[in-house]
Amino acid sequence: MRVFHLALAFLGIAVADAQIPNDFDAESKLMAMEHIEKVQVPRTRDVKVLDAMLDDGFLCVDVEGGLLNKTDVLAHLRAADSLEFIPNSMAVELQGDTAIVTGLYRIRGAGRGKPFVRRGRFVDTWLYRGGRWVAIASLSTPGGN
Amino acid sequence: MRAVIRWFFLVLFSSVAVWGQQGDKGGSVATIRALEHEWAEGQSRNDTRVLDLIFDNALVYVEYGKLVSKGEYLARIKRENSELDQIAFEGVTVHIFGSTALATGTYCERELRSGKTEQRRWRFIDTWVYKKGSWVLVAAGSAPITR
Repeated sequence: MRVFHLALAFLGIAVADAQIPNDFDAESKLMAMEHIEKVQVPRTRDVKVLDAMLDDGFLCVDVEGGLLNKTDVLAHLRAADSLEFIPNSMAVELQGDTAIVTGLYRIRGAGRGKPFVRRGRFVDTWLYRGGRWVAIASLSTPGGN
Repeated sequence: MRAVIRWFFLVLFSSVAVWGQQGDKGGSVATIRALEHEWAEGQSRNDTRVLDLIFDNALVYVEYGKLVSKGEYLARIKRENSELDQIAFEGVTVHIFGSTALATGTYCERELRSGKTEQRRWRFIDTWVYKKGSWVLVAAGSAPITR
């Protein structure tokens, strides 16, 4: 009987782990993941961390209107001379197992030896899959109100 | 009368046709493609009733770099002279992730400004979610193609 109760308790934990976390937990988790993805990863150039955060079907529309897949994004990270991403005014909109994160950004970097600064707005789509959030889409566009 | 018939068929198409077809990837892809097309059509006819059905109430929409709500977007469509602006889709690709889908593609926007036609190409990425038996648009945005 004890074994049965233990099995039930274990099953309960397993089921709870696969469930979508409550709104507050999901929002704070997503904010933290955005911070890691946009601020820490470009600084440390940790391709492995970014690799784990992006779904294999990840798609990105960049600020110049280019379409990039996960492989392209990881290659960009490896090739960048220097990159500093400063996000602000972030907001999370939850839609069941899908979340939309919006915000403004400022990028300071250097490419081909020339420094640049860019400002714009981003829209990221996250999916709760296998007990964790993974990014499936990202759009960057110039401007911002 | 034609508008009422179109509206009726859109409701039928977006809800009944996708009923129980979450596992049917091909059906979902076709539905989302059709809804993307209806969105462009609805916008060109200033048909906010059709757009109201396609958009989720919590839609996150980035238009010309600005974040606008569903209400703000519909209000703009309602008062805009659609004859001055034309949108031509150049292709849509749909990717299904269970009950979430991404639609990506490009379109060409032609605007009549001071007697001159201006043309710009954009690349978009839209997020659709399967909710209460139909696909609804929850996020959309585009970036101008400059390279």
